[in-house]
Amino acid sequence: MIEVELAVNGERETVSVDATQTLLDVLRTKLGLTGTKIGCNQGVCGSCTVLIDGKPARSCLVLAAGCRGRAITTIEGVGTADAPSPVQQAFIEAGAVQCGYCTPGMVLAAEALLRKTKRPSVPEIREALSGNLCRCSGYTKIVDAVKLASERAAP
Amino acid sequence: MSIAYHEPEALDAAVRLLAEIEGARCIAGGQTLVAMLNAGLVEPAALVSLARIPELGAISRAGDGSLRIGAMATHEAIAESPLVARVSPLIAGAAGAIAHPPIRSFGTIGGAVAHGDPNADYPAALVAADARVEIVGANGRRAVPAAEFFQDYLTTAVEPGEIVTAVLVPPPPAGVRGRFLKFTRVDGDYATVAVAALLGCEAGACKHIAVALGAVAPRPVRDRDAEKALIGRPPTDQAIAVLGETLAAACDPVDDVRGSAAYRRALVPILVGRAIKSLMQ
Repeated sequence: MIEVELAVNGERETVSVDATQTLLDVLRTKLGLTGTKIGCNQGVCGSCTVLIDGKPARSCLVLAAGCRGRAITTIEGVGTADAPSPVQQAFIEAGAVQCGYCTPGMVLAAEALLRKTKRPSVPEIREALSGNLCRCSGYTKIVDAVKLASERAAP
Repeated sequence: MSIAYHEPEALDAAVRLLAEIEGARCIAGGQTLVAMLNAGLVEPAALVSLARIPELGAISRAGDGSLRIGAMATHEAIAESPLVARVSPLIAGAAGAIAHPPIRSFGTIGGAVAHGDPNADYPAALVAADARVEIVGANGRRAVPAAEFFQDYLTTAVEPGEIVTAVLVPPPPAGVRGRFLKFTRVDGDYATVAVAALLGCEAGACKHIAVALGAVAPRPVRDRDAEKALIGRPPTDQAIAVLGETLAAACDPVDDVRGSAAYRRALVPILVGRAIKSLMQ
């Protein structure tokens, strides 16, 4: 086992991991952060998206052992039920949630986009979310939600 | 079984680890290797991460004017680099065509070329650009032309114990433009067929042309004789069609979920035509 100090949502925690254990697995099973979802475990679906140093990442394709010194943000670090982030609030208002399984990944991909681009165009939003699958196929309202959040943040 | 994880901070330390531990594998951005680990397709004896070796991440211009892209440069860094855009829009285009933004943020050119997947985007682009792949091992440093580096499906010139350290791209001759054209079923997928093309014309005649295909054979397909036949001649529709048909005949595609072999072969002349015509405008 390898001891690695992870910085997740601003808190430092040292965990013992196997060399091949993914960040996704460690977040869910060692840190109890189950907001990050397991989908394909192959980097295809985007449901496990987290931010690493501000960039959207497939946590299923990142080894936890390699995360020393990197800032990780999961959906638990974005907002809470009582105090949703502006992106989460926009998802609620736009009706951008169906079954909800893809939502944490979608929200984090949107957060990453809006940190980089204040007023993205619709094609830019679609490109930023292109690696996140919604099997309910509710894409239109998800794009609407990101647009709404960007308009509120940068009127 | 518990396997070791190493994060050397210098290249020679990484080379030493690979030599010392039989069955050790390098890990770069992990965007393919971790998926393979998750699926149980590989069982390395140890992992040697290249992520903490600073010299591997740089994108710079070498003394002879060629572009030196460090193995750990991400697809995103390459696609957004003004230097790459200036020297080789073809390579920048290939980097930007790979998968989705999160994969491009972490996947690296060194990892991608060392994997040697003929369906990936860099192999055809590097072959068309006459790039070389720099490899370092216990016996020193060598640079292998891309056309010789990619040998077969998931098979490259990298020997056990060696590490891909950089990709070297010569500047194309003045006036030569490049284009990476990727045909996919859906956004972000692997190519059904990819075309990497460079073209330079003078007074209506071809002065420089290079066309390589991806996803149509176990390695990139290029026909230098067919290119030479076009030099000094105007790139007419008919001349381009002949090149496209010649390349289609040289393909050895597979039937898979992205298209049948016959469909891929039929796409080749059409996409070669589109790529070359887009460079004439």
